[in-house]
Amino acid sequence: MHPILADPRKLLWYVLAWLVAGAGIAALLRLNEQAGWMGALGFALPLCLVWSFVALSSYYVCRSLSWSQRRWPVALALFGGASLLAALAWLGLGEAWNAVGRLVLHEQPFVAMTAPGWVMYFAAGFALYLLALLAHDVLVAFETVQDAARREAESRVLARDAELQMLRTQINPHFLFNSLNSISALTGFDPAAAREMTVDLAQFFRRTLALAERERITLGEEVVLSEHFLAIEKRRFGNRLRAELRISPAAAECLLPPMTLQPLLENAIKHGIRQLDGGGTVTVDALVRDGWLHIAVVNPVGPPEPSAGGHGVGLKNIRERLAVLYGPRARIAWQRSDTRFTIEINLPVDTEAPA
Amino acid sequence: MTTSPALRALIVDDEELARRLIREYLQGHADIEVVGECENGLDAVRQIGALAPDLVFLDIQMPRLTGLEVLELTGRRAGVIFTTAYDEHAIKAFELHAVDYLLKPFSRARFDAALARARALHAPAQDAPALDALVARRSAPLERILIRDREQVHVIPVEQVECIEAQGDYLAIHVDGKCHLKPQRISEIEEQLDATRFLRVHRSFIISLAHLQAIERPGPDRHAARLRSGKRVPISRSGYDKLRTRV
Repeated sequence: MHPILADPRKLLWYVLAWLVAGAGIAALLRLNEQAGWMGALGFALPLCLVWSFVALSSYYVCRSLSWSQRRWPVALALFGGASLLAALAWLGLGEAWNAVGRLVLHEQPFVAMTAPGWVMYFAAGFALYLLALLAHDVLVAFETVQDAARREAESRVLARDAELQMLRTQINPHFLFNSLNSISALTGFDPAAAREMTVDLAQFFRRTLALAERERITLGEEVVLSEHFLAIEKRRFGNRLRAELRISPAAAECLLPPMTLQPLLENAIKHGIRQLDGGGTVTVDALVRDGWLHIAVVNPVGPPEPSAGGHGVGLKNIRERLAVLYGPRARIAWQRSDTRFTIEINLPVDTEAPA
Repeated sequence: MTTSPALRALIVDDEELARRLIREYLQGHADIEVVGECENGLDAVRQIGALAPDLVFLDIQMPRLTGLEVLELTGRRAGVIFTTAYDEHAIKAFELHAVDYLLKPFSRARFDAALARARALHAPAQDAPALDALVARRSAPLERILIRDREQVHVIPVEQVECIEAQGDYLAIHVDGKCHLKPQRISEIEEQLDATRFLRVHRSFIISLAHLQAIERPGPDRHAARLRSGKRVPISRSGYDKLRTRV
């Protein structure tokens, strides 16, 4: 909607300004002896009132020509043409209103305009509309700049959120301290396993740190990281946690933002497997079809948990991150049945250009 | 009270390695006998009831029920050593109430110190006030109400609760046409519930605003709340004033 129409106060000031302009026109008509004071005002004020709304249309003319894609000849032609058309309409309106005046005021028009008077009147209409166009153009340009600044600020906030989220994943204290506790337990009766778990933990953190700095990594790299993560979790949860990763070779080559798959596995374990007495199997399927990378993560779940609100937050974070990077082309959807939780991600295929 | 010299201990943790570590640390203490292990909170509630152990090693973050909820349900207030890897809220509460706890991973020396403290306190119920306060006080509003019905534990999300009625020493919690009894004072649960969703409309009634359908006037200066289920709850004069500012 037009910013002036949307705000009653602005609209009031705007209309007042036009009425002042109308009074000015009336004064000119009087001074040039085209009419008496009453006739001049009766002619100019209603016309300007109507015209104030007609002039608002120039906002949309300006909007149709965005600054970034503007070619000056086109802009000049459009502005000139629009002003000419508007001035013709202004002329017609003036004549018509004068005719109405003649009917109402018994054979006497508001103004007894001479030919040069009408020319001047026409020129004034042209100039007024052109002025409105130029003023609106400045307004639109200003709006565009503000819009761009706001969008940039928004995307900066989102990017920072994503970064924070990533940092939090990297140093999930729960995961870290519980893993260290498991290692502490293992040293007593299975030193070799303790050593393996230490290495997995180190590799997981090292890879997370290295990959998080990059904007995008291959799914294969993410899978290696996730396997370290799963190895650690399997030690913690024993045979309650089983995992099947089926990644097609083509899918492994695809690029995606780092830490897309690992948080999904973490969720699956935290909200799914861990809540089940007998545990369960997390499956990951990734394949490429028709230029799209499909990733599906499925895990069994127990009966709905009253206070387990945590699932949605992490998923929404991933959705936002993907939206920032891919716009509407990325799709992430999840659904919960009585026994299973399924997450599906579809991304346009993008691979590293061969060197 | 057990007459045997040994302390009977129960280990509650959903990670097997964590339980195993505690067992290992306990091997150096001949006066402690491990009588059971639990993998989740529900199991812990049952075992604490069945075994009446002298000492419980209790993890905070567990599936089904948290360690604090286990205490709430069993009414156990002494001989508990908490273990946790990381839980800001719980740790803050422990510090506040001077309750001993073990941060994973912990050393044998730290474990022995906690055990020595627990042994010294093993004579009747000294920890009780601290643990009482710990269980009653919550940092966040209550999300689910736990009810123990003999061997069964009901976990009721608060959004399903229509109204709560005080009946003597018990609360009658009305859910889906059923009524569960829980030994608790109405003022205590009133404090724990989210004040934006629940309102004490009467000395003995709390209603859920989400389940409120209409306010009726059965007589001059008398009001009653009609709930979605058709149930009617009396509203006191001050309850009516409170309710008017909210709906």
